[in-house]
Amino acid sequence: MSEQKQLLIIDDDPDFVDGIKSILTKGNYKVDVAYTPKDGWAALEKNKYDLLLLDVMMGRGAEGIMIARKLGKDVNLREMPVLIITSIREQMAFLFPGGAVHPNFVNVDELVEKPVEPKLLLEKVSSLIKSSESKKKKK
Amino acid sequence: MTPKKFAYFPGCSLEKMAESYHLSTVEIARVMGMELKELEDWNCCGATAYFHVDELLAHTLCARNLAMAEKEGLDLVAPCSGCYKNMHSCNAHLQKDHDLADHINFALEEDNLHFDGKIKVHHLIEVFCEDLKEVKAKATNPLTGLKVAPYYGCQILRPRKFEHENVEEPRYFEDLMTAIGATPVDFLLRLRCCGGALIITNRQAALSMVRNLLQNAVDSGADVIATACPLCQVNLECYQDQVNTEFGTKFSVPIFYFTQLMGLSMGIPAKRLGIGTEFLSPPPAMLAACRKAAVV
Amino acid sequence: MSTTVTFGQEIANLLQEAGGTPVSACMQCGTCSGTCPVGDFMDVRPQRLIHMIDAGLKDKVMATRAFWYCASCYQCTVRCPRGIDIAELMYGLKRYTIWKNQYPADLIGPAFSETFIKTIMRAGRSYEPVLATSYFFTLGLKEMLSEAQNATMLMLKGRLPVLPARIKRLENFKRMIKRIIPIGD
Repeated sequence: MSEQKQLLIIDDDPDFVDGIKSILTKGNYKVDVAYTPKDGWAALEKNKYDLLLLDVMMGRGAEGIMIARKLGKDVNLREMPVLIITSIREQMAFLFPGGAVHPNFVNVDELVEKPVEPKLLLEKVSSLIKSSESKKKKK
Repeated sequence: MTPKKFAYFPGCSLEKMAESYHLSTVEIARVMGMELKELEDWNCCGATAYFHVDELLAHTLCARNLAMAEKEGLDLVAPCSGCYKNMHSCNAHLQKDHDLADHINFALEEDNLHFDGKIKVHHLIEVFCEDLKEVKAKATNPLTGLKVAPYYGCQILRPRKFEHENVEEPRYFEDLMTAIGATPVDFLLRLRCCGGALIITNRQAALSMVRNLLQNAVDSGADVIATACPLCQVNLECYQDQVNTEFGTKFSVPIFYFTQLMGLSMGIPAKRLGIGTEFLSPPPAMLAACRKAAVV
Repeated sequence: MSTTVTFGQEIANLLQEAGGTPVSACMQCGTCSGTCPVGDFMDVRPQRLIHMIDAGLKDKVMATRAFWYCASCYQCTVRCPRGIDIAELMYGLKRYTIWKNQYPADLIGPAFSETFIKTIMRAGRSYEPVLATSYFFTLGLKEMLSEAQNATMLMLKGRLPVLPARIKRLENFKRMIKRIIPIGD
């Protein structure tokens, strides 16, 4: 059996976190959680993660985007795959009705909208980690 | 002495609803030898609404204005208390939080702008109060006998800007009124909120707040209430009728911008100060000054 | 309900980035309630609201209208002896309920905010006549008439704009916003 992969969730919604954390734990991942962008960043600096699951709307606003941008500029962290899980479209529905989410200016590998199917979540996580590892090997 | 020069941010209300505030500001600045350069292509400060949705967005919109003033190398001056508060607090937040400033600057790139945090933000009344001697010297048509209730409202003072600042017992509005020859009355509720946007979102509450202010101004013997904010002006003036209907009162208290009173004291003709666009006509002591100003 | 994070903690987290003192510092002195000019019109005064948050009464807090009646006058913020930025907390709660789309349906506040922001997104500046439509039909007949009277008066005095104002670099402005809130084409 391969070594257990370590994930970090940064999301302000405790109920949602409980849900995906239990799915991921059952999928044999070791999962850390931060409920604020600040705590999340501190965790990223302290530990090494194989993947980050990142919410968008937290604290003052779309802070997840701020984190993703900061990651992209950090030499130690920018290789880490990032999966954005968001309901921003619902949260901001009145503002841009029907618009697509497009954080194409940040270093994000994949984006899914809440709610997330357990099966899809596990697939995305596993494939993102695999492709990141194969990228590393090529180097 | 080089003239004082500021980047002037009029704000949405001053474009039409509070045009008299804008007109009188421009007039007195000219007399005071102060240059107000209107910020080119300024955008709305967000009033109180953005914060309900996304504070980062709120900061971005204010930062665009701040960055434009920086580009001019000028401190920013805002006549509306709401605009002032938003711009002032955005400036403070971005100066303190470098991650935030970096992120907002990324957005500002789209408009070829950059925030460095190099300028200050002032409310219009501050820049005149800094030089009361000069105001007094220019007040050649003093408003003798006019009893004024100086209404500070909220956001000129709050939230607290500096630790040493006295936000509970300010005097500068009173001193300014004295400098132009008027008599400031003891207006107990001068720091109490006018209701702001509640006039739309909770009318009952706002009308009652307006009533309390009007009652207190009348009790203090004021002929007029002087304001430094377009929202206060509209709430106190345009809703006086509704207050009277709602509470069976008979208020008829004229509400003017402090700049209009300053302008009159400087002998500027009433029309150029936007006097005449109000719902409630000026009291006798002001009319006397208006007649003299037309002659001067 | 989450097993790990209390509602009080969740609200503290919401305000963490803004750097405020958490509501758990509250000593229930009542200065905020006493000083609030809108207190008489709130279903729950600030002091009790803070207690409810601290006690984790999420459902009750979510059903409260009080924070939508906050006029942002900052009197409580300035006077709180524990340094809690209460007005900021009210903004935080507004944000929280808007994101979750959970607030009493008859409140005008959220609809007004939304109309306001939409106007700015389109034009860069606000335009009073558009804003009016967001609340005009929520008024009773008496208020509607007096509002119409006000509008007529303002028009006669030349104080109502005929055309909405627009900033010049609107395209840049819109792209700028999309870097902060990445939705839309």
